[in-house]
Amino acid sequence: MKRLKTTGGPAPRELVSPDLIERCTRGDEAAWRELVEATHRDVYTLCLRILGDPHDASEATQDTYLKVWRNLRGFRGDAMFSTWLYRVATNTAISKHRGRSRRRAREAGVGEEVMEQIPATGSVEAAAGAKVEVARLEDALAVLSPMYREAVVLRDVYGLGIDELAKQLGISETAAKVRVHRGRKKLKDMLFSEEDL
Amino acid sequence: MKCEEIKEMLPAYGDEQQATLELRRHLSRCSDCRAEVDRYEALSGGLRALASITAEPPARLLTALIDIPARRTRIDEARDHVVRHRGRYLGGLAGAAAVAGTAALWRTRARRLAAA
Repeated sequence: MKRLKTTGGPAPRELVSPDLIERCTRGDEAAWRELVEATHRDVYTLCLRILGDPHDASEATQDTYLKVWRNLRGFRGDAMFSTWLYRVATNTAISKHRGRSRRRAREAGVGEEVMEQIPATGSVEAAAGAKVEVARLEDALAVLSPMYREAVVLRDVYGLGIDELAKQLGISETAAKVRVHRGRKKLKDMLFSEEDL
Repeated sequence: MKCEEIKEMLPAYGDEQQATLELRRHLSRCSDCRAEVDRYEALSGGLRALASITAEPPARLLTALIDIPARRTRIDEARDHVVRHRGRYLGGLAGAAAVAGTAALWRTRARRLAAA
């Protein structure tokens, strides 16, 4: 995964002006270009974090913007555009992930689970105020089982409430909590080796 | 409570508004479990930090996204054209099917005659 560019604060935040969206709904292609340029990195990153594969993330991003273009006239502006955009992207990526999981389960006959210790490239202290290196964290997320990855990413990176998370994943709130907790535990185990304990 | 039981609760520790008295008591005297809390807090901080970091998408993705309205217009125009001229297209297809059917019949008949 090519990294990394710091943007201005936690998502979702409003990325485009209402005027720009209005121009897009009128079919203004220059405005569409501006909207895409302002938002596509965040959408691609969200898809990549859920899917863990650059090719799938590109496809999910294209599907997302296709849906946005088709449905932009129906966007009423009573919610933040970015929130709507993230929701469309999340749904698209999750649908893609489900399709892919079904395909792989058919091909392999099993659901895979990769668990391994992510090697430290620098020191990761287990003391108060310790920080986890972003690169190691991205690597750990990439090898985390997809069902835990999407739960942890949506809950802990994008700040979805358990109720929203359950709705997005189409599971009960209890099941959503369990996925988040197991995902966190697996990530913690991958990031902190025995000698840190 | 034993450390094993406490450690099972720790992934949810940050979500709880208020930790139970029992949990807090245990953490106040168990450095091992406190270190585990620190690890979860470090993980949580790292995950929060990811929200402001974006990956670099492939360059051709931007071009494909910008092109969506034009591509949709071309597809929509083609679809409109087909819908507008549905009669002609269906007529053409029916004609082609009729010609193919006749040719097949003729060939079968010719084969039968040759065999006879």
